[in-house]
Amino acid sequence: MPAKPKVAFFDFTSCEGCQLTIVDLLQTHLGLVNLVEIVQFREAMTEKGEDYAIAFIEGSCTRKSDEDRLRKIREQAAVVVALGACAHLGGVNAMKNRWAIENVQTYVYGEDGKAMYESYEARPISAVIQVDAAIPGCPIDRFEFLHLVQKMLQGRAPKLPDYPLCVECKLKENACLNKLGKPCLGPITRAGCNAICPTYGDGCEGCRGWIPEANFDEMREILRGHGLSDADIDARFTMFNHYQMQHMGDDAPVTTTVSPVKDEPLPTSTFAAPQEEPVR
Amino acid sequence: MSLYMFPKEKLAAFVEALLPNYRVVGPVQTEYGYAFDDIASPEQLQLDYTTTVLPPKKYFLPQREVLFNFSNEADDQGQPHLDVRPVYADVEPTVIFGVHTCDMNGIMLYDKVFAEGYKDEHYAARREQTYVIGIECLRPCDSAAFCKDMGTLTAPPVYDLHMTDVGDYYMVDAGTGRGEQLLLDHVPATMARKEDIQQLGHVLSAKWPNFRMRLKMSKDQTPSLLTLGYRAKLWEELGEKCLACGSCTNVCPTCFCFDVQDELDITMENGARARIWDSCQLREFALVAGGHNFRETKASRVRHRVMRKGKYIKQVHGLLGCTGCGRCERACLVDITIPGTLNALSDEMQLEPGD
Ligand code: SF4
Ligand code: SF4
Ligand code: SF4
Ligand code: SF4
Ligand code: SF4
Repeated sequence: MPAKPKVAFFDFTSCEGCQLTIVDLLQTHLGLVNLVEIVQFREAMTEKGEDYAIAFIEGSCTRKSDEDRLRKIREQAAVVVALGACAHLGGVNAMKNRWAIENVQTYVYGEDGKAMYESYEARPISAVIQVDAAIPGCPIDRFEFLHLVQKMLQGRAPKLPDYPLCVECKLKENACLNKLGKPCLGPITRAGCNAICPTYGDGCEGCRGWIPEANFDEMREILRGHGLSDADIDARFTMFNHYQMQHMGDDAPVTTTVSPVKDEPLPTSTFAAPQEEPVR
Repeated sequence: MSLYMFPKEKLAAFVEALLPNYRVVGPVQTEYGYAFDDIASPEQLQLDYTTTVLPPKKYFLPQREVLFNFSNEADDQGQPHLDVRPVYADVEPTVIFGVHTCDMNGIMLYDKVFAEGYKDEHYAARREQTYVIGIECLRPCDSAAFCKDMGTLTAPPVYDLHMTDVGDYYMVDAGTGRGEQLLLDHVPATMARKEDIQQLGHVLSAKWPNFRMRLKMSKDQTPSLLTLGYRAKLWEELGEKCLACGSCTNVCPTCFCFDVQDELDITMENGARARIWDSCQLREFALVAGGHNFRETKASRVRHRVMRKGKYIKQVHGLLGCTGCGRCERACLVDITIPGTLNALSDEMQLEPGD
């Protein structure tokens, strides 16, 4: 076997759930360390090797100042892989893009604090640097990660399924949630997680991103059939995929605007004290 | 073969007697309906059931089936070579209870596809070890079914045993010698007498009015209708609606397409080749090297499926590719159905209704 490629893991704006999945994978598939040499992985080791060929990047880019760090990684790595929905799509972080960034900063850090924390519209790392492959999902599927590593070691292009989740769901013989009156985005969402949410009775939220030929119009009709308002449907379409919708511009299949709206009230924070008024 | 009968309350004893020596499967109740699944005790078996999500085809062509394992080895001279070992996982003596007549028609088509001409070893291994016990449909199991139109309301000759509920008894037709043996070894069945056979005849003729027809044409007209309608506008309309989700083919008892994939273990020295159900409704199905896709549009894919069901399979295998089970209608979220499609096509082509 040729020399083990050196790999490094990096994180940006994220919950670290995807890195944790890899730490967990190393427990069950220790043989992974025979395939690659991990030189940097903040969540799992102290060493910080700067000589790496493959960079796995978790998290979305939400600060202008992070762009330099991303570019530096890109310069060093022969292959850059987006790890998880945050890096791949922008993910849940991009939900904030619905409001003007100053309002969001005030809302989160208060009038006094906002100047201390830099922030801009959340975006996938592909909006900043060239990305060679992505592992979708929130969090990623460990076996998909493993397959991708193996494919790369074989010198083959990793390939994601581009058919919808319903395929995996039907093979598991699940009762269809949309038929039972529960909203599920499976028909427009990329398969690969083995339909884990519908299998446990929860509708898919689209964390793996859309398939290339997503039929948004019919999906909306199906969701309307469950009594969801168009605003509710827009919220579902933009939960993980806000950035994609935003960048579809006028073609975005949403009824409301996906571009930042200055005066739209921010929601009441779940963490706000009862007497606290929502910031406008 | 011979007609037998046994009292209905003996069904539990029949299943009980089979359990030590066979994997017994049949329709069982699930949270939202029924599915073919393993039976651990007789009361799980529900012979009066509405259509399952997946047909019993999964016992002959599992959703994912490992065909062989492979590993990199060195031979006596130290030369590397690939060691290939066929796998027949879960191939064991199995009894399937409660197969509806439409699904037996599906099995008949599978036999033509996988066992005639080129014989698929994995299919043959499963089929040979599996006893099919049918149940006569006396009333529609689902309002989406159109088995009467498709001529699948009678049992085709693929069963080992076929049961009909005649009141206090099951009348059992032994379709094969091994089926007859299975019956006689496990349940105190008696030969049907003349009056029992008359009673069976009565039950079988009384059932027909319970089933409605849904097609505007006879099934024999579908190949020519589809030939005429190849360029119909209908396909564009359906293509607009279709989600390209593949549910219609995955649940279909006559769909048999699969993809073949190699998967490596963590050492990357060993692996397995598996086949997994595939669907002509998916974008990649007809995508070939160089990026050309000979069914790029959803309209062409929807049309292809209906062409398969109502014409192509008939041309190749002599049987229509639709049993009228109604599963695709139940699975489709945008209401694309076989009767709806054929009827709309007949309207667009302005055909005279068939007799
Ligand atoms: S994709 Fe999900 S699990 Fe992964 S880092 Fe982002 S929020 Fe966490
Ligand atoms: S539950 Fe969701 S993923 Fe499963 S078949 Fe229905 S729509 Fe598709
Ligand atoms: S079912 Fe949907 S939301 Fe759940 S993990 Fe899969 S893609 Fe993500
Ligand atoms: S095409 Fe539909 S109705 Fe016909 S056999 Fe297949 S699933 Fe059943
Ligand atoms: S089930 Fe319906 S939506 Fe899905 S591929 Fe089939 S026809 Fe299209």
